[in-house]
Amino acid sequence: MSSTSQHLLLSPAELAYLHGSLSLITPGPIRPDGRSPTQFRPLTAETGILPGTNGSARICFADGTEAVVGVKAEVEKTPVSPYEFVASTEGRKDHTVTSTPQKKIRKSKKAPAATEGGEDEIAMEVDEDEEAAAAAALDKVRGSPDWVELSVEIPGLRDDDSGTIFLTSMLTEALLADGEFVKKLWINRRFHWKIYLDIILISPPLSYPLPLLSLTTHLALLATRLPRLKSEADEDPMFDDDWAAATFLYPRQDTSSGKAASSKSSKQTSTAAAAPPASRPPITLLVMAVGDNIIFDPSKEELAVADSAVAVSVAEGPSSESEPESESISATTTKRNLHLLSVRTIDPPSRLTPPGVPNSVNASAWGTMTAATAASAAAPASASASEAAAKHPDARVTETEDVVGVWKAPRGGAKFAMLGAMVAKVLERGGVAEEVLDGLEGVDLG
Amino acid sequence: MPLDTSTYNLALLRVDGRRWNELRQQKAQMGVQPSADGSAYLEMGNTKIQCIISGPNERDTKSTSSASTAPTSGGQGATVAVSIMIAPFATVDRKRRGRNDKRVQEMQTTIASGLAAAVQGQSYGPRSTIHISLNVLSQDGSLLACLINAASLALVDAGVPMTDYLVACTAGSTSSYAAADEEADPLLDLNTQEEQELPFLTLATMGATDKVVAMVCESRVQLTRLEGMMATAADGCKGVRDFLDGVVRDKGELMVQEGAIGRGEVVSSMDLD
Repeated sequence: MSSTSQHLLLSPAELAYLHGSLSLITPGPIRPDGRSPTQFRPLTAETGILPGTNGSARICFADGTEAVVGVKAEVEKTPVSPYEFVASTEGRKDHTVTSTPQKKIRKSKKAPAATEGGEDEIAMEVDEDEEAAAAAALDKVRGSPDWVELSVEIPGLRDDDSGTIFLTSMLTEALLADGEFVKKLWINRRFHWKIYLDIILISPPLSYPLPLLSLTTHLALLATRLPRLKSEADEDPMFDDDWAAATFLYPRQDTSSGKAASSKSSKQTSTAAAAPPASRPPITLLVMAVGDNIIFDPSKEELAVADSAVAVSVAEGPSSESEPESESISATTTKRNLHLLSVRTIDPPSRLTPPGVPNSVNASAWGTMTAATAASAAAPASASASEAAAKHPDARVTETEDVVGVWKAPRGGAKFAMLGAMVAKVLERGGVAEEVLDGLEGVDLG
Repeated sequence: MPLDTSTYNLALLRVDGRRWNELRQQKAQMGVQPSADGSAYLEMGNTKIQCIISGPNERDTKSTSSASTAPTSGGQGATVAVSIMIAPFATVDRKRRGRNDKRVQEMQTTIASGLAAAVQGQSYGPRSTIHISLNVLSQDGSLLACLINAASLALVDAGVPMTDYLVACTAGSTSSYAAADEEADPLLDLNTQEEQELPFLTLATMGATDKVVAMVCESRVQLTRLEGMMATAADGCKGVRDFLDGVVRDKGELMVQEGAIGRGEVVSSMDLD
């Protein structure tokens, strides 16, 4: 599958050099553009470029690749299934069953601090819980993957190109993986929003466009607004026609306090933490491994020598139980609640690169070598030549073994340990995913 | 959605407040895409087009499958290949168009043959192709005209030699009763709402001259009104040409200021006034 990008015109010697400098261990990998292994290419981003959409974004990477995403929403009738009532009552049963252990956990948590008054409060809460559970089971917020339609358009490629379809399904998978996104589209039991995400790559596909498309989609979803609902319960939905009153699909915390918190003293960070960080749309990052090095956001040249490439999708959920802990540990205030959605290995174009030919099996090199050995068999300078000559009879071995400095396309998939390391590196605190999310948060959502 | 044409007769103002011979607000930028050989972004009202040019390069049979091509200089010069991508979110109601949509194909052919007349392709040789890819981000009337203008501007950015800007504009005619036929006013640069209601044509001229390169009219018009519409559209083309020329000159001045070009022989020989 030549999905990743079109062929690069690099010779085996160039590929070997690139691979060698990227797999250096002591000073770390040396990338052709001088970035550090976790550094992203600089990008320019803007949102709200298309007033005719519910949300739109445009991102331009420094290498000139550019993508535009438009989000459109339509109200659609939810087909009512005849089993709905049964399902809802079952849901109620389930909920009451699970609510009992929940109650116990709460009790045990609050027990050390609780006074007698506190106990009463808990009892009240339990009753409320059960009522709420019953109500929630009746109009439980549900979602269906059919409520999202995503399309990717890449210039010069056919609509049914395997690479485009792979990209589409990877982005869709990230969006639907945890089922949280489609729940946001629920209006009432009879209606829901249908979201159309149309992703257009404007520039020719210079590098593998997955990170670009994913980041642009993320921004467009952040900027997406839906008209405010005026009707109640299961009525036919009526919306506020004032666009200024429209609500964001991903409601955010007060941005002004958040900005102040990030820039100013720790006192303010604790106040910002009082509001739980809102959930964010998923991002998919492209990670590749060369030797033992893990490299983020590879360019086209780097991808051409990748041992393995992986697309890691990460989402940020609302941090649930941070409220009681926030006072004790101030470090947790700025942390994000990241969770892994999916990991996909990508066939890197390096598999299709032509291999270099080691001297030992090179017909033109044999001639010189045999001449050399004949001329000065005892000379120490021709040690390597004689070694090669020794290998010469079973030259087949050198075809399968690695020869230093001679390029050979990588074989086999990513090692498990390497996969684990890649995912850990994405998810670690202060890691790349957080950095990217922080960066995208700085974009003004018009 | 009937357009209330009676209001026009009263105030002589259109639904968006323009007079009959006024163009919509235009915005344009050159060189918006650093990785492309040439690029331009053009807004006419709410119609927004981004044009990317790659080439001239060796003919690539694979990627031109859905594009429309036209040879320049009587088959002796480079081929112009045009592909249009209308974003599904460009219209008010989302609508996905396939690449082989007949209307899109027809527009591609019109643009390709029109630009082939303007491009002096003999300097490239017959085996090379100039790929023009047009992305429609938002659509609000005069689509074909905007596409031609954006492609023209991007070709200037790409440095492709042309005899003049190929500029286009639409003109319509106020539909009126058969009795008041003679008083039907031509209208310049229609938006979607007007396009749906009124007969209109798209006219492309070579620069500010009256040389018509392309004319497309898909609606029924009375022959007596045609001349007025064409004259109005040609006037509009002049306006568009002036606007595009201004954009190119501004860009040139900016490049001189930034030091991208020396204030030397290149600029002085171009006779900038």
